[in-house]
Amino acid sequence: MNDRHRQPDRQRSEGTSDGRLVEIHAQIAREKEEPREGFSLTPIFIVFLFCGFGFWAGLYLTRNSGDFSASAFDLDVPKASASAGPAVFEPDAAKGEKLFVANCAACHQATGLGMPGAFPPLAGSPWVAGTDERMIKIILVGLAGEVEVKGAKFNGNMPNIGAGLKDAQIAHIATYVRSAWGNQGEPVMDTKVAEVRKALAGHGQFSPQEILKAHPLEAK
Amino acid sequence: MSQESSHQRPDFGRETALRGPFVFFFVAALVWLLAASALGLIAALKLWMPSFLNCEWLTYGRVTVVQKNLFIYGWATNALLAVNLWLLSRLTSFEFRNGWIAVFGGLVWNATLIYGVQQIFAGFLNGFSLLEMPREVGPVLAIAFLLAGFWPVVAFARRPSGHTFAAQWYVVGASFLFPIFYLIAQLLVLWCPASGVVQALVASWFVQNLLQLWLAASALGIAYYFIPKVLERPLAGYYLATVGFWTFFLFAGWTAPATLLGSPIPVWIQSVGVVAMVMSIVPIIITAINFHGTFAQNGGWANAWNSTSLRWVALGTISFTFVGLLRAIFYTRGYSAIIRFTEFYQGLDHLLVYGFVTMVIFGAAYFILPRVTGALWPSVKLIHVHFWSVTLALIVSTLVSLYGGYQTGLDLSKGAPQMIGGGKAHVLTAAAFLLGHAAFALNALGLIFRGLTSAENRQHD
Amino acid sequence: MKNLNLFLIGLFAAVAFPFGALIVSSQVQLGALGRAPAEEGGPLFPPREPGLAIQGRAVYLQLGCVACHTQQVRPAGMGSDIARGWGARPSVARDYVLQSQVLIGDHRFGPDLANVGARLTEAQLHEHLRAPSSVVAGSAMPAYEYLYQPKANGWAPTDRAVALVAYLKSLRQDYASPEAKLKQ
Repeated sequence: MNDRHRQPDRQRSEGTSDGRLVEIHAQIAREKEEPREGFSLTPIFIVFLFCGFGFWAGLYLTRNSGDFSASAFDLDVPKASASAGPAVFEPDAAKGEKLFVANCAACHQATGLGMPGAFPPLAGSPWVAGTDERMIKIILVGLAGEVEVKGAKFNGNMPNIGAGLKDAQIAHIATYVRSAWGNQGEPVMDTKVAEVRKALAGHGQFSPQEILKAHPLEAK
Repeated sequence: MSQESSHQRPDFGRETALRGPFVFFFVAALVWLLAASALGLIAALKLWMPSFLNCEWLTYGRVTVVQKNLFIYGWATNALLAVNLWLLSRLTSFEFRNGWIAVFGGLVWNATLIYGVQQIFAGFLNGFSLLEMPREVGPVLAIAFLLAGFWPVVAFARRPSGHTFAAQWYVVGASFLFPIFYLIAQLLVLWCPASGVVQALVASWFVQNLLQLWLAASALGIAYYFIPKVLERPLAGYYLATVGFWTFFLFAGWTAPATLLGSPIPVWIQSVGVVAMVMSIVPIIITAINFHGTFAQNGGWANAWNSTSLRWVALGTISFTFVGLLRAIFYTRGYSAIIRFTEFYQGLDHLLVYGFVTMVIFGAAYFILPRVTGALWPSVKLIHVHFWSVTLALIVSTLVSLYGGYQTGLDLSKGAPQMIGGGKAHVLTAAAFLLGHAAFALNALGLIFRGLTSAENRQHD
Repeated sequence: MKNLNLFLIGLFAAVAFPFGALIVSSQVQLGALGRAPAEEGGPLFPPREPGLAIQGRAVYLQLGCVACHTQQVRPAGMGSDIARGWGARPSVARDYVLQSQVLIGDHRFGPDLANVGARLTEAQLHEHLRAPSSVVAGSAMPAYEYLYQPKANGWAPTDRAVALVAYLKSLRQDYASPEAKLKQ
């Protein structure tokens, strides 16, 4: 083993013995607990460091906490609350379908075909095609009188269903009706509904003549 | 004084009592180290050439997971179990009579690990870092740890004198806390999962605890022991060690949310994590004063460089200081926005787990193994091969990960189309790691074999 | 340190305090979170995963996809995720309430998948899984050829591939959530 001289740890002394190691360091720690003349700067430095960090931490947390809210995931929108709606309204036929089933299908049927002699159909009806204002107005305040739809006559009395619905919900319903069963109308925005609702304030049920005068049926 | 003189005599009785458990855990650690390094090389090759060994068992997502689990639970944990046991027995004059319990725990631990790894290869894995093994593994590993790794706490509780030392605090703290946070994490992530993203928060809390409170804390204890021991002088500024210890332990668990900046967890939790990460500079500064201050006195660096074991510990403590400062700087919002999800943070973790923990374990092994087995290292050449290949690979791979990760982040924020892997550089460093580890394992196994045969000879005489 | 009990209690605090303050409190804040409509009367989000997607999620786990892909879109101020089209809005906690194991991931070698169902078609996903480098030149993703069987004119996906693609198609965060508005 001519390598032996190059194995320093094995050849040198064992180093400080373990009992002595514990003893010496326990002594150093003890000495510092008692006040002495030779004053070291390091503890003061550590204390200052701690105070500095503490101050910064408080500042940082108050600025970046998002009010400790469970729904703040981003510093930029700290006030986002669970009731805030989406920024941009998107007419959604899927939502409209659910609302239609709940509010309209009792008469017009989920198939949109209505009931012959009682309730006019919406599928393929020129009344829901073209301008969206005619349809919004009828949903908002209702329609009473004899109407002719796709060659059949109906003497109906539609109540003001829309009075109990929100602008966005009406927009969804209208969008759904105008896109379902082969209908091909433009989607309806909630702002349009709000506009019409404002203009119709205090208006009673339309008669067919009045509504057709304002919005004649467009030819296909 | 009589007590002290008895300490100064090398006590071979105690060392031989520890021989069985120590050698068992260390051999197991070596086997896992080799397996993990080989898988590391395979994973690096697969990232470079995706068609390399492309079959379902060896798909990248499984190889890299097994590699990380083996490195942490196989190599680092087995080795730390061995070293912690040895260290606390020495420091508290603990007579370790129940070696078989520790060895039994070790057998269970390693058998469970084999099962867990086999399950991962077979495709039964979870999606959380270092919690990937199937959930039935968790409780068994925790019990095995209690059998194998709780002895430092027992030794500390039964120590004869009232004096304590920083090395003991860290090792006892690590051994005491590992089963607690491991079981909590298993429970809340795998057994009765917390709701939604809270799982991710628990998982990140677990990873930070595992890296800091188990791996780094044990390695800090080892460093606190070997530096004054081998240099034969007390630690500089030791009276600060208490503050360093408590700040280290009390801040570590809070740092986890800083690794989740930008994730869908409430913003106040993220901010708490950033604060804790920055506050962690306090223990970093104190340990730096303790370690580097001691090295800086009276040619300590030169002495460390000339010592086969302390050289590793010195490099490890440098890594620790370095990684602590980097973590405090780069786990903040501005940097995280750029480098999150890139190689950068993996590089930092690697610097902590390899650059600090593994380097310190190597140093401890070079010191302890000859003493426990009573044999000499078979080859000095292999020691050099080990040191240089591993050190150079560590430096290169860290630089590549940090620089490459930062560049990738910048490119991505400018709209680069896709991710860039480390590529060839990682293949080279993985090969160098494997070479160094093979040299170390060969040397250590040769030494252990020699020690065991000579011990048998002694018994026959 | 001399008083063992005090020492161990102090150590225990190192686990207990962050656990209580971070994890217990976030479970209190987020634990009751359920599906919610973006506005009153609207459909509930996140939508339930179809059965095939639940099978596909298991395949996603088995193949270790989490190692390279995340499923979280960061806010605009925290990285370029939204700017590069990986999502229409930042991910929020509510998006994950139905998932038994949340696979948000922590590393990206490939793109984020939180909204991949809205970005790619089924055919594109199959093509990408079977031969990634034919879609992205120099892709580091392994080819999952073993999920496909050759047939007369091309490839037929196995059941696992079909389930995996169904899962990927179900990954969508393109609906407005009470906590996160859609990008304008």
